[in-house]
Amino acid sequence: METQYRGAVLGGLICQVFFGIVLIAIYRALYAGKPQEIPLSHVTTYVWLQQAFFRMLLATDPELQDKIRTGAIAYDLCRPLHLYSYYYARIMAQKLTGSVLRALPMLVFAALLPEGWGLCLPASVPALLLSVLGLILGLFCVSALENITMAFTMRTLDPRGMQGMLNLLMMTLSGNILPLTLFPDSWQRVITLLPYAQLLDTPIRLYTGEHAVSRAPEALLIQISWTILLIIIGCAFWRTNQRKLVIQGG
Amino acid sequence: MNTLRLYARSMAILIKSQLQYPLSFLMQTIAQLVMEGGEMMALILLIDRFDRLNQWGPGDLYFFFGLMSVSFYLTEIFGRGVTGNFPYMVRTGQLDTVLLRPRGVLTQVLCSAADPRRITCIAVGVVSLVIGSNLAKITWTPVKILLFAETIFFSFWLILGLFMIEAILCIHSVKSVELANTLTYGGRSACEYPSDIYPRPLRVLFTVIAPFALVMHVPASVILDKPLFSWPKWAAFVTPLSGLILFGVMYLLFRKAMRFYRSTGS
Repeated sequence: METQYRGAVLGGLICQVFFGIVLIAIYRALYAGKPQEIPLSHVTTYVWLQQAFFRMLLATDPELQDKIRTGAIAYDLCRPLHLYSYYYARIMAQKLTGSVLRALPMLVFAALLPEGWGLCLPASVPALLLSVLGLILGLFCVSALENITMAFTMRTLDPRGMQGMLNLLMMTLSGNILPLTLFPDSWQRVITLLPYAQLLDTPIRLYTGEHAVSRAPEALLIQISWTILLIIIGCAFWRTNQRKLVIQGG
Repeated sequence: MNTLRLYARSMAILIKSQLQYPLSFLMQTIAQLVMEGGEMMALILLIDRFDRLNQWGPGDLYFFFGLMSVSFYLTEIFGRGVTGNFPYMVRTGQLDTVLLRPRGVLTQVLCSAADPRRITCIAVGVVSLVIGSNLAKITWTPVKILLFAETIFFSFWLILGLFMIEAILCIHSVKSVELANTLTYGGRSACEYPSDIYPRPLRVLFTVIAPFALVMHVPASVILDKPLFSWPKWAAFVTPLSGLILFGVMYLLFRKAMRFYRSTGS
């Protein structure tokens, strides 16, 4: 599906790259005035990885929303499927294809940029492998989160208010607007424990070495626990929704 | 004059119609507030960590941020027809009905939509302007107030002009074009900060092609008593005109593009 609209993908890619360069230019100017404990190259890497996997965070499924609004979801209810897992798989597949297709060219581009603008090398080979593992866990976690958002949509029908709010929480607390590593240190201790930080922040920290390899099991364990917890919450939410579902349309 | 009255009347009706669903409207305005508040929080956190950005102190940065928020979202409220609806009108063929009526296309497009939810974003911008003005200890004189009003006025035309690029592109290629977002939303994000912090290519982009620097940053820096370039003070009154010039050019291109318009409707 994604490969059918190459023009749109390319346009989106250029747009993301532009945002990345602007953000890095701002951080460079800020660093010139007052260098920080975290090296600039880690901040630029943070920005590029965030831009590259942006689609993973925000790929809401308009088709499912339409189904809920028009009542077409009734057909899905008739299928002999476990609805939660069906949508979980669907959301995950969309996020995976959407982000990989965009991330690869972007990361290649970012890696070619000069030092201080582009992507730095991973802290070590184990760090790279662990960050890939973290990214996969992040994908599981974000899909579970989005399924909860969908469950909210089934309740309220108009997704804009609630979804806008949840999206914003996502953008801020996952480090897309401002790298979480630049938040005040006292906030970071709390923010990094929240589910939103598990999506991209944890893999990025593993990549740059902010989370040392020895601390990786702890970080991965937090990711796994959140994923399991969010899936349980989502499942329960969907089950109650199915029990008192009012179908739209006629 | 007649056109202006028509526009004012459409705006009144559109805003009234949005207020017919007060709860939904309230939810959405709050979502907007949280969104713009989040942007401002990022600025606050950055200032907290870095103290200043080149020669710009915290007050200056809040002032630049507020100026951008107020003008960008004013454009989104009153120019929604161009900033949001136009690509949709082209895609669905709705534009055909517009062509039949005895009024200009752009007038009708502008009259077709308003987005009053953005009012909370403007509120955030105003708060940021007030904080900035206090921290930077701006002494407001009648001249400065006049300059400020002029800046907001021409920023509106500049941003509307940039959104027209998207309108022009989508007449040619039907699919809404994400690329144009680099100048509009990208320009907004970038030019929340004074443009002299950027490397040369970006500075040229935001001075010559999308003249945010001329329309906003030059007058704002004069208001802050830290002129951006070593230009005479009266120059700050002249440079914002480039916003209207950009809009004029885009208007001519838009008229040209409309001749290529092929309906998609059935």
